[in-house]
Amino acid sequence: MKKRILVVGSLIAALTAYGCSRFRNAPTNTGPQRYVVISPIYNEIIWALGAQDEVVGVDLSTTYPPDVKNKQTVGYHRALSAEGILSLHPTAVIHDNNIGPPQVVQQLQQLNIPMKTFSAKNSDFDGTKALIREMAVYFHREARGEELCKTLDDQKAASLEKVKQYTDHPRVAVIHFGRASNVYMVVGKGGGGDGGGVSKMIEYAGGEMAGDSSGRGMQRMESPEILAQANPDVILMTDYGYDRLNGSLDQIKALPGVATSNAAKNGRIYRIEENVLNYFGPRSGENIEKVARTIHQK
Amino acid sequence: MLQANNVTFSIGHKRLIEDITVSFAPGKLHLIIGPNGAGKSTLIKVLARLLRPQDGSVQYEGVNVSDAREAELAKHRAVLSQAIEVAFPLTVREVVMMGRYPHFGGRPGPADEKIVDEVMSHFDVTEFSARDYQTLSGGERQRVNFARVLAQLWREDGGTRSENGSSTPCRYLFLDEPLTFLDIRHQIDFMKKVRAFANASDVVTVGVVHDLNLAARFADQIVLLNHGRFVAGGSPADVLSADLIRDAFGVEPSFVSTQHPGLHLIFE
Amino acid sequence: MLIALTVLTLLVLAASIRYGAIDFSVAQISRALASLFPGQPEPTLDQRIFLELRFPRAIMCLLVGASLGVGGTLMQALFRNPIVEPGLVGTSSGAAFGSALFFVLGGVLHIGTSLFALPVAACIGGVLSTYLVFLLARAKEDSRASIVMLLLTGLAVNALFMSAIGFLQYIARDPQARSITFWSLGTLSGASWKAVEIVSISTIAGALVALRYAKQLNALMIGEEEATYLGVNVNRLKWIILSVNVVIVAVATAFTGVISFVGLIVPHILRMIGGADNRYLIVASALTGATLLTLADLLARMVVRPAELPIGIVTSAVGVPVFIFLLRRRRYVF
Repeated sequence: MKKRILVVGSLIAALTAYGCSRFRNAPTNTGPQRYVVISPIYNEIIWALGAQDEVVGVDLSTTYPPDVKNKQTVGYHRALSAEGILSLHPTAVIHDNNIGPPQVVQQLQQLNIPMKTFSAKNSDFDGTKALIREMAVYFHREARGEELCKTLDDQKAASLEKVKQYTDHPRVAVIHFGRASNVYMVVGKGGGGDGGGVSKMIEYAGGEMAGDSSGRGMQRMESPEILAQANPDVILMTDYGYDRLNGSLDQIKALPGVATSNAAKNGRIYRIEENVLNYFGPRSGENIEKVARTIHQK
Repeated sequence: MLQANNVTFSIGHKRLIEDITVSFAPGKLHLIIGPNGAGKSTLIKVLARLLRPQDGSVQYEGVNVSDAREAELAKHRAVLSQAIEVAFPLTVREVVMMGRYPHFGGRPGPADEKIVDEVMSHFDVTEFSARDYQTLSGGERQRVNFARVLAQLWREDGGTRSENGSSTPCRYLFLDEPLTFLDIRHQIDFMKKVRAFANASDVVTVGVVHDLNLAARFADQIVLLNHGRFVAGGSPADVLSADLIRDAFGVEPSFVSTQHPGLHLIFE
Repeated sequence: MLIALTVLTLLVLAASIRYGAIDFSVAQISRALASLFPGQPEPTLDQRIFLELRFPRAIMCLLVGASLGVGGTLMQALFRNPIVEPGLVGTSSGAAFGSALFFVLGGVLHIGTSLFALPVAACIGGVLSTYLVFLLARAKEDSRASIVMLLLTGLAVNALFMSAIGFLQYIARDPQARSITFWSLGTLSGASWKAVEIVSISTIAGALVALRYAKQLNALMIGEEEATYLGVNVNRLKWIILSVNVVIVAVATAFTGVISFVGLIVPHILRMIGGADNRYLIVASALTGATLLTLADLLARMVVRPAELPIGIVTSAVGVPVFIFLLRRRRYVF
């Protein structure tokens, strides 16, 4: 009897493992450097710099560019496994000081695994360029880094020009689905880190950030008052949360405070990719225009 | 000899039994009767030292029992209650063996095993030895529990046989309404076995029953309680008088004679 | 029976130390162990991974599994109720609250980041909540704490602490809130030799004390009154067993987060197989708990490697089907 359970159990395990294709790719044969990079923005910049061959492992939250799916993932950035990271035999672990659990960090340090964080922060355009340059030096691709910075500046200028054509300043609320806490959140005006880049992007795009003004990054959508007070003209919903409700306007309107807003009344509720809006990166220059187009559409 | 002196037990302000003085001699079966709420169960629990009285004392052979250590007391004092609630699958043998717990430390010895065999055979429950206690009927369960209690009180040099010479300390058996879930045949059967055990000269047996006819038939001494107080004590003929019964129980008894000796009552 | 369990435990242990994100061959393991002796070459990174991460983790699984198994047995014996597990008297939620508080306030108050700050916080929480339950559950007239009162008070205190944790999650900044969530799903990834030392003391000492009182716990199975008549000091027994439970569960929880279900499942299954005698049950549930948790951890590390699943998910996934299967087969009477 116990044997049967074991057989069934192993079958299930095998099928699960097979299904999770992201976790099951054989490691690529890379050059002399093997990096495990645990940060979506770092990974995006590395791919933009063309240094992705040196990356052997990424975290679960890294989703851009689509190519990252070919890399092995070491799990959610706050629930890492030391052994898992080490099984990829990394030469260094690159992270943005937002990793956990703490004992895993300690274990990596105790085993003398080189850990690297970049000092520049991508809290706005200048910070992003500093970060690109810092990473370009680290990855020995300074020239490419300069190209990216120039592109960023050019695209930003071009986007801002285009934004001028819009005469309205819609009040925009952004709803994001927090996977760790399994709940919908309204992004606030707080700076830095999670969701902080959002309000700046909205403003560049010619909109006004509506929503929680307490200065905190995000607020759970528990009471309808949050949005009702703000009464946004436009609601942007990040991709995961939007797809989770199958893009159904009715379901979205069912979230607290949405139904009474101007946005809902006028049907101005749109989907937007998290990696376009939520943080500053190499593509933010052109992203301003994307955001602008989205929020100004009627 | 079991002696209760001016025993009072209360919970909060409610006095369950008050100022009760009564003695119980060994070698006899003593039964306590009374209407509901009379305090019979409370008295038994105080006598058995499950409860400590607020006033008065209980003495086993002249020694106040309130300071005795639990483990020591358990070696010569046992209580048989109405029915025990067992929430886990225990075999009959395991239940009976629990009677021997006060007598061994870690594991039961060969003597304990032998005693368990003997009491189980005495109560005809050997065939149930490996069965789950919860699958037995009420009557079967009480036999098992009686076996357990007897195993607890077992004495190497006599068991249930009467003895001469009382240099050995007394054993105390308390029965707290043990007949409740039994049918008539099992009730009589049970009382006969209790009677046989109570005859041993080093055993004090005190029980609580509701059925006055059973009390009349089997008891050496009857104690009548009402409203928490001692009303009367003595032989069945003394205590089971029409006046006392009417006062205490609120029913009218009539006495009948049959070919069997002893008192027989019917009630209106 | 116990021999079979021991063999099974050893087999599972062997699998656990060999397989994972990195698979170690027997040769590699022996070389790693050899490097501990003086005069041998320094261990390589892989060997160090084995010695410092994998091996202590495997031992930790055994110890924590044993703690949870024994805790479950003790609780069910004490409460005379099979639907009870250590968490019910508030220990787990108290420990979780202690940890949540540490996550949220630790940064603010700059509490030392030593490895043991978190477990200590969890332990304090666990002891606090359990003591609270006990205090509240005492009847006024009678110094004995009835088991039903204990159960109900435990439920109330649990609710209190869980809502406190909810509040902490609400006011926490996002990364901290995530830490709380993941911690409450349990993980063995924090295992180190120091942790193993501490947990082994609590587990072994706790199990030995429990064994000493096994016979008295048996007597309790036929009722509190009956147990008293059999010579058991019921009140004292309750305090001792409850203390043992708090210690072994809080210490284990402190290092691994909340892992539920093991304490509920293990004694059930063992009773179905071998009866309810606590002398057998305590030892068997230590072994079975150890096996179950090691197996669960192995799966957690293998199924999505090199990432890991939270172990709480695996213990439920592994434990529930087995339990249902056995339940249907034996028609267990409760």
